[in-house]
Amino acid sequence: MRDTRRVVVLGANGTMGSGSGALFAARGFDVAMLARTADKAMQGLERARAAVRSDVIQKSIRCGSYDDLEKEVAEADLVLEAVSENMDVKAPFFDRIDRARKPGTVVATVSSGLSIAEMARGRTDDFRRHFLGMHLFNPPNVIVGTEIIAGPETDPTVFESCGTLLRKRLGRVVVACRDLPAFAGNRIGFKVLNECAILAEQRGVAFVDYLIGPYTGRAMPPLATIDLVGWDVHAAIVDNVFANTSDEAHEAFRMPAYMRALMAKGHLGNKTPKQGGFFLRSKTPDGKRFKLPLDPAAMAYAQTPASVTKVRFVEEMKAMHAVGRYRDAMALFLRAEGPEAELARKVILGYVSYALHRVGPEEVVDSPAGVDGIMGFGFNWAPPSVLVDLFGPKPTMAAMREVGLPVPPVLASLPDGERMFTLRGANIGRFFVGK
Amino acid sequence: MADNTKAVYVLGGYQTDFARNWFKEGKHIVALIREAVQGTLDATGVDPAELQVAHVGNFAAELYAMQGHLGAFVVEVDPALRGLPTSRHEAACASGSIAALCAAAEIEAGRYDVALVLGVEQMKTVDSKTGGDFLGTAAWYEREAKGIEFPFPKLFGKLGDEYDKRYGLKDEHLARISAINYGNAKLNPNAQTRSWFMSYEHACSTGQFNANIGGRIKLTDCSQVTDGAAGIILASATFASAWAKRKGTSLDRIPRVLGWGHRTAPIEFSEKVLESKEQPYVLPHTRRAILDAFERARLPGVEKIDAIETHDCFTTSEYMAIDHFGLTQPGESWKAIEEDVIALGGKCPINPSGGLIGAGHPVGATGTRQLLDAFLQVTDSAGDYQVPSARRVATLNIGGSGTTSVVHVLGFED
Repeated sequence: MRDTRRVVVLGANGTMGSGSGALFAARGFDVAMLARTADKAMQGLERARAAVRSDVIQKSIRCGSYDDLEKEVAEADLVLEAVSENMDVKAPFFDRIDRARKPGTVVATVSSGLSIAEMARGRTDDFRRHFLGMHLFNPPNVIVGTEIIAGPETDPTVFESCGTLLRKRLGRVVVACRDLPAFAGNRIGFKVLNECAILAEQRGVAFVDYLIGPYTGRAMPPLATIDLVGWDVHAAIVDNVFANTSDEAHEAFRMPAYMRALMAKGHLGNKTPKQGGFFLRSKTPDGKRFKLPLDPAAMAYAQTPASVTKVRFVEEMKAMHAVGRYRDAMALFLRAEGPEAELARKVILGYVSYALHRVGPEEVVDSPAGVDGIMGFGFNWAPPSVLVDLFGPKPTMAAMREVGLPVPPVLASLPDGERMFTLRGANIGRFFVGK
Repeated sequence: MADNTKAVYVLGGYQTDFARNWFKEGKHIVALIREAVQGTLDATGVDPAELQVAHVGNFAAELYAMQGHLGAFVVEVDPALRGLPTSRHEAACASGSIAALCAAAEIEAGRYDVALVLGVEQMKTVDSKTGGDFLGTAAWYEREAKGIEFPFPKLFGKLGDEYDKRYGLKDEHLARISAINYGNAKLNPNAQTRSWFMSYEHACSTGQFNANIGGRIKLTDCSQVTDGAAGIILASATFASAWAKRKGTSLDRIPRVLGWGHRTAPIEFSEKVLESKEQPYVLPHTRRAILDAFERARLPGVEKIDAIETHDCFTTSEYMAIDHFGLTQPGESWKAIEEDVIALGGKCPINPSGGLIGAGHPVGATGTRQLLDAFLQVTDSAGDYQVPSARRVATLNIGGSGTTSVVHVLGFED
């Protein structure tokens, strides 16, 4: 693979396009940001400047429209496609890139889960050998977890070099995934998120976000997370996985009907502040923010901000996290009694079980380090292996069986006394929030 | 000078990720202490029951976290630590080094064989202006900080002005110091700024993204406040040799505190400058602390030092450190910058870790973090920011506007 200096970003006005442009420019690459019009590309540049908080990065960025695509691609070492997450939109761009690129130019897509094989199909040999998925997470200059995905004919040395480039020159935590729907992070993460959306129908939005809240090892509660990423993005991911996989948790990917009905009315989460998502955010006349939870059954928002009945074990766990007693907190999580504790265990152990089932020769990643890397550094969730180590492998397995979850082979075969979490240098405490 | 013949060994240590915001995580300062103590014990393989004493360095937990008596929190970490003698030490930004000096002194005196040194600070509990005011208590608050927004950048801006007056100073050299520190921090997995953007051009720029903070000090000239803790274990030859055997190594492969220096200048910056008026060094007491450390380490000078972890709370303090360490003649620090002496790969890299500017400056933790980084360098364990074949590393930790200076030399004799 050629030394990478010139990078072309397509879809430069979008969130991922401008963010990726910012990332590469900030690390000293020469970047061309292209969009439908040069003005739109300029908007992307503005976002990039704001993201890295510097005026000088614009010196390494050229803006242009897709009229410049052939000229820019011909000079590029790496072309990063970040146009809409839609195969029909992407395909014509790949046609043009294929015709314009020099042999050896790497072409990568930031797609968060569409088929890499399908994107490569029918293109020239050299394109197919130099094509891969490079799934950066939003915002790319902050979130370092990155998935790389080889197509069926991606040259292994190109794939390896791209991993090195991401690690060494862009400071990424890189996880190699197989070309399976939604790859590792979104497959595992959105399984949990959608499960919470399903649970919200019976248990209420505010309660689910409380019960599966940051104390369970995540920066943000699950339904607030769906509001942040957008219901449309959520739907695209779970629908893709539901249609194209059949695994032990298939039903968890069936998007609840209330969500689909509300989406049709324009409820997409934070990006539609008037309609709302799981929460309708508002301010009092004197500027105090508050949020009204959705009642999924009524498909309407509560009149007053949510008040959740606190659960004792949850409060006790938060207090333990606050003083750094993570292991004690997780031990309490396993032994706490009552239907709430059982439900929380079902979701969290379900996350661990599902994630570690994605490890194996035919699965999404080869080792637990893969799912740990992307959940920890892409999602900011406690990596599954961290939870196993805190619970202890045997208690984890026993608790899984108790709530009717399958025990992943990689957990069952863990040698006695060995730790599951192997990523060095990670402060595991940061995942457990004490409030 | 007193003869300190009893050797003090450094067994290793641990630092927390300085990019974390513990307030956002909903954590009490004891969580920070717990993670750092457990990390230090894990990293060294020292059992909590083996510890004989603990010294905690911290600047102002009473202000930032409404909590004093931090030594007591070490005992919270593990039931085996109950009864352990502990204390807390304060010397503004030099608190972590003072804790280390006290621990080493007790080992030299034969009181204890193994000591935990922990530096800790939680700062993101308050907004930057309030925090800036708290930091003002490291100066003579009523005279130099009260009612002044961000007093410390202004004081260290004056240090730059003094250099400018005496020898001339170009801001582009300060920008280069900033860019080197940020660049090194990208190689350090625990550095606060590892994912931030920085370049020499950006450090040279001014505007909305690089505002003037005080005098000639711009945002890129400053270390940033953060939360963090770092711990190290110091030990006597008796404990260290038993520990070495356990680890399958030998005593001569364990680094030692080869020398130290500790001096205190008048607290007011204007007094410092007045005192040094006719002298070649702007901060003569800092220079003295460095020479004391070299003398105690029986080293002729900086030519025997492979790398330095210095106190770059601002680019001007690193500029000062360059000539004060003797890398150049007084007033000629710019030469070492231009000749790449201080960059990674240079003759004497300064702050391979990223320093305070790149790695972050949780005030009370900084001195201990520097000692840990010195340990990592001389044991070839610094990963991507390793200085090849580093045998001896010096640290300079400064409290106030050059008021308390503590220097350590860590590593091996020739």
